[in-house]
Amino acid sequence: MNWKNVAFLVGVERKSGRLIRGQVLTHYRESKIGAYLFYLIALVIGLVVGFLVGNFYVTGVISGDPALATTLQPLVNSVLFSLPTLVLIYSLVFTMLSQIQRSGIKTTSQVPYWLPITWQEHTLASILANMMGFPLISIVGIATGVIVFASFAGFIVPAVLASLAMIAAALMASATTEIFRILQVRFLGAVYRSTGRAAIWVRFAGSLIFFLLFYIAYFSIIYGSGAMTFIQTIATTQNAAWFVPFVWLGIMLYNFTSGTLLLGLVFMALSLLFIVGLFYLGVWLNTRFGLYEPPAITVTRGAYTPKVGLLGRLGFSSTEAALVRKDLKAFTRRRELMTIFIGPIVIVLVPLMQSLGAAGQASSTSFNLLWLGLTFLLPASIMAMSLGSLIIGEEGRAVWRIYAAPFSARSFVKSKFFLVVLFALIVLVITGTAGAFLYRMSIQTFLWATFEAIFLAFALSAVSLSNGIKGADFNEVPRPRMIRVEWSIINLIACFLSGAAILAPLIPYVLSSFIPNMTSLDPLVYTAISGVIAVAITLVFYRICISNAKELLSKAED
Amino acid sequence: MSFNAVELKNVTKRYNEIVAVDHVNLTIGSGEIFGLLGPNGSGKSTTLKMLMGLVQPDEGSVTVLGLSVGKDPVALKRMVGYVPEAPRLYEFLTGVEYLDFIGDVFGMQPEDKKNRIDEYLKALQLEGREGDMINSYSEGMKQKIALISAFLHRPKLLIMDEPLNALDPRSARIVKDFLQELKRQGITTILSTHVLEIAQAMCDRIGIMYQGKLLALGNMNELRQLAKLPNSGLEDVFLKLTGTGDTRPVVEELLK
Repeated sequence: MNWKNVAFLVGVERKSGRLIRGQVLTHYRESKIGAYLFYLIALVIGLVVGFLVGNFYVTGVISGDPALATTLQPLVNSVLFSLPTLVLIYSLVFTMLSQIQRSGIKTTSQVPYWLPITWQEHTLASILANMMGFPLISIVGIATGVIVFASFAGFIVPAVLASLAMIAAALMASATTEIFRILQVRFLGAVYRSTGRAAIWVRFAGSLIFFLLFYIAYFSIIYGSGAMTFIQTIATTQNAAWFVPFVWLGIMLYNFTSGTLLLGLVFMALSLLFIVGLFYLGVWLNTRFGLYEPPAITVTRGAYTPKVGLLGRLGFSSTEAALVRKDLKAFTRRRELMTIFIGPIVIVLVPLMQSLGAAGQASSTSFNLLWLGLTFLLPASIMAMSLGSLIIGEEGRAVWRIYAAPFSARSFVKSKFFLVVLFALIVLVITGTAGAFLYRMSIQTFLWATFEAIFLAFALSAVSLSNGIKGADFNEVPRPRMIRVEWSIINLIACFLSGAAILAPLIPYVLSSFIPNMTSLDPLVYTAISGVIAVAITLVFYRICISNAKELLSKAED
Repeated sequence: MSFNAVELKNVTKRYNEIVAVDHVNLTIGSGEIFGLLGPNGSGKSTTLKMLMGLVQPDEGSVTVLGLSVGKDPVALKRMVGYVPEAPRLYEFLTGVEYLDFIGDVFGMQPEDKKNRIDEYLKALQLEGREGDMINSYSEGMKQKIALISAFLHRPKLLIMDEPLNALDPRSARIVKDFLQELKRQGITTILSTHVLEIAQAMCDRIGIMYQGKLLALGNMNELRQLAKLPNSGLEDVFLKLTGTGDTRPVVEELLK
């Protein structure tokens, strides 16, 4: 193992991470301050939080009632035991998501093919680079906080052990992600080959289902039961799940703090062996499949026949319709774009799952309004906001084709706007239908909620598209960013303000639902006012879209 | 030649302190095959991009097919076929879907589009792979798709940066012969290349760029006279004119 090679490869990955965040780098060598700033911030936060909590624990809690220390000890212990498993779970989620986002780029796995680098070096560097960034930064913060707190509470040795176990847990998660990455490339390749022409739809449906399950499980676990309940669940169940290697670090901590040192050492050795095993499995898989290229997906066979589409009949020119059709294909075939569909669906599904039990008797005003927001207003708004901001940058480096083609700013904006609104309305139909069926509502409520959602879909599509054009980012390496970070934030604020302006006329109606003596007009009257505001916002931002598109097309590669 | 296809008047383009194109004056006649040569970073690609309106000049004016670039870019782009140096295609589309997209973008009639796509796919030996997604194509196959997309709508002017990159010999020959045929039909071609044999064999006139300047311009004989190498090939002429001819010391240094 050439450690210099490993360090260089990790450095390259880290630099690519900084490029993703939009930092302009003109030299290969990184600024040490820039590279380690987040670690430093995490360290300071850990120190401050640890000091404040520790100080409060000693002076405010223990000094008042010393018996409380004994009462609180099990809680402190359960937090400590669950830390490695907690770190493992969020590191897995984070590293897997970042790998999925990079799935469109296949160059990184090709490095050993043309450089004198072994698969061991490549695999180790990939695991370490995966682990760096958010997982390691958060560990620095948590570990510092725990150690400082422990110095007040008097359990410094277990705290140091827990910190080391957290690093090992992040390493475990990162190695697992590396294995998952290689396997999914190999597995999906085999699936595509066997499914032939249906491969595109298999991939689309498969990716959607995977993302959905992943997000639902994640949000349900993390937010569904509450953080403390979750931590306590980990602490109590991990001993029962001793046969699962991923919880061995937590069991090790439990045994060390319970005084069963021998068992603690056994689980420590087992954990280390498991990490080494994961590493060698990753090396073996990389050696076998690292350079594997997925087979070509054949979409059409036989003679080519031009199709006369529906869009022409809707008043789109052939140029505009071509762009819409191309983008429709992009959003069903590019895996990194499929995540855009997930947000609105998860937003509905997670609370839906949690509230299904209460659906029958759910009749409180606040519950109904929340549900209306979740099924009607939010999904379509989020789809419009995210898709509008990304639909220009998704062109990537192939954007030269748009620059060199006879697109006017008007036809360009018309096509893109149509697609964003279309997707937002499709989401509204799906989530609104689900909401209407599950939570029976009056026709009047159904009508105003639907109209408000349509207004939001149109207005936010125009707002986000204007920002998407202005802030488009066509870089694709190391992963497509599609919009620059500052414009993404601007878009979020602009969409929030626009949404608030559209929904503002409904405030009297909402308040009258809570305040018994307050009178209110028919909600459809307020909806009509919302409609006027939405039309105004849409028109203004549509014009801004055209103006931004003119600038984009005229400046092109300048 | 009835009119000038391209006119560059005193065109300059700067990128910060770097002058990519330095006061270039150039006129290319209709129906001409014009070759733009020069070492890496000499300003060829920037010049071609300015003809397409993808890059705006800092000084001077660019007129293409009688239209001032930037005045009516949509009308101009309709008449031009363009192949950039490293054409990135929509890799999630199949070859035939990509060409169908191009046909629609340029407003071709369905029957005409179908016939031409079929002809070009057959000619450049892409039949049988046209239904595969482009991400599985070799670089040569991608280049063929990029070339077809430039020819498909029968443009009046072709602007091509390294058009024969990665092509197999048969396809390269077909493209060269095809460009000669287009020339006979009055279609102008401007191409940049590093393969001097191609430029010598194909181009009516050649412009040699060096450090952003148009160093030499003319047909082969005129260039030979300029270089004072009456019986030499384009390679010697090019190296002499760009002052990069004496390569022996570099090779000797490398061998140390």
